Amino acid sequence: MFSTELVVQTAISGVMIGVLYALMALGITFIYSIMRMVNWAMGEFYMIGSYLQYVLVAFVLGPDLWWLAILVSAAGVFAFGVVVQWGLIKPIFKKPPEARDDYATVVTLALLLFLRSVATGLAGPNQFTPGSNLPIVMVGPMPMAGARVAAFLFALGALALFYCVLRYTWYGLALRAAAQSRVGVQTAGIDVLAVDRIAFGIGVALAGLAGALLAPVFLVFPTNGLITTVKGFEIVVIGGLGSIPGALIAGILLGLIESFGAAFIDSSYQNIYGFLLVIAILVLRPTGLFGERGREA
Amino acid sequence: MAAALEAIGLNKRFGGLQAANDVTLAVEQGEIRGLIGPNGAGKTTLVNLVTGVYAADSGEVKLAGESLAGCAMHEIARRGLVRSFQVTRLFGSLTVRENLRTAFLARRPKDASDGEGQIERMLDLTKLKPLADAPAKKLSGGQRALLQMGCGFMVPGSCYVLDEPFSGINPVIKDAIIDMIVDVNQRHGATFLIVSHEMTIIRRLCPKVTVMMEGRVAAHGTLDEVARLPEVIAGYLGKALE
Repeated sequence: MFSTELVVQTAISGVMIGVLYALMALGITFIYSIMRMVNWAMGEFYMIGSYLQYVLVAFVLGPDLWWLAILVSAAGVFAFGVVVQWGLIKPIFKKPPEARDDYATVVTLALLLFLRSVATGLAGPNQFTPGSNLPIVMVGPMPMAGARVAAFLFALGALALFYCVLRYTWYGLALRAAAQSRVGVQTAGIDVLAVDRIAFGIGVALAGLAGALLAPVFLVFPTNGLITTVKGFEIVVIGGLGSIPGALIAGILLGLIESFGAAFIDSSYQNIYGFLLVIAILVLRPTGLFGERGREA
Repeated sequence: MAAALEAIGLNKRFGGLQAANDVTLAVEQGEIRGLIGPNGAGKTTLVNLVTGVYAADSGEVKLAGESLAGCAMHEIARRGLVRSFQVTRLFGSLTVRENLRTAFLARRPKDASDGEGQIERMLDLTKLKPLADAPAKKLSGGQRALLQMGCGFMVPGSCYVLDEPFSGINPVIKDAIIDMIVDVNQRHGATFLIVSHEMTIIRRLCPKVTVMMEGRVAAHGTLDEVARLPEVIAGYLGKALE
């Protein structure tokens, strides 16, 4: 029989990884909710975050300053995102062509291939790990790698910060308003392309943060963003495209399902369980758990 | 003195449709001008051209003598040209209060305080106070129209272009909106260009009207003057106005 202890352990590890998946999904859904485009290169921003973390920990700051490295990595990805929006995305949005989101798809797919090639060219196909000298931590009854616990806590902090910025700042108000009506914010005198720049930066920074946090756990290599991106999209489908609470709840849900599936069914199919949930959601509730049909008042 | 709002030879073509055909009009400082015409006459197209939603194929728009060529929508709004939409563009999941705050923050004068006092005044004026913390999507059509006006008046603009502000709303709210327009016009000397089919209100508010037909400006004058013109009568399918 299954012991209570095993169930608790499985639940804890599911929630811990689920929150990190949620970061990724949040980035995708946040960019979509404001810019109405899917950034297919999210995984590459994750990858850049993980490489930055590796380089900073291994060569610049050292393992004791891992937390500073994470902040710098996330900020670096934010800055890179701002540049990408300015150089590649904004020109499409400024004089929108007929099929704006198709252009955005092609541009971000091209960016995906480009960034992967650059990573392979610079660092080769090798796998790196920034390592971690964090001690094993007891989470309830279960010993957990310190890096995982740290990643979880960092992710929670980032989510809280993200919420506070959206909720209590003027930028947050502009971002939430732009998600409701792009024409509306322009009529109110807000530069929607500047809002896009911040939104794109924040969205990819969330992916970069996930990459930096998971670098000691899932390793660093040119295509390491792929699995997490796929999970991010699964979560977006489960939670509903454009829904921020949906991304959080579905992220944790996906973490739990994978964790329980791996513990009680078969761990070699870990990546399949989420897909089963996606299929179930698409059949039962195609807009996702929290998806909206229309949003303009 | 330069006109508050001027359109000079505006042209806009959508495929085979000449939606705006050499449209020229000037609204004087502090004037409330009516813009009337049958459906499809190009009134909303003109509004969209003036406020930067569409770029004109040719022609120019001037606000207080300054050209708006090349200005994005938000720049035009910040220069004090404020518009409303026939289908309101509010922020549905944001509360009534947050809608007003969004309208305030972007256009506020540099030395302005946080505007919370102004938000309270606007809630009183629009009688939306009981709904202040409800999401805008819960409002009725009339309440949305009121809120949209409230957003436009949060920071007094120099010129307002209102697209069908009275359509589909009850008489009490119509009166409330009329009062707000008159108030902003008298206190701040704001200029208005109002698109409407409501001839009683147009007669009350607008000493002069401009009539559009098939993308062209067909006539200027008082409502009674233009209502007698054969072309205008024909354009309204033979029905005299009202």
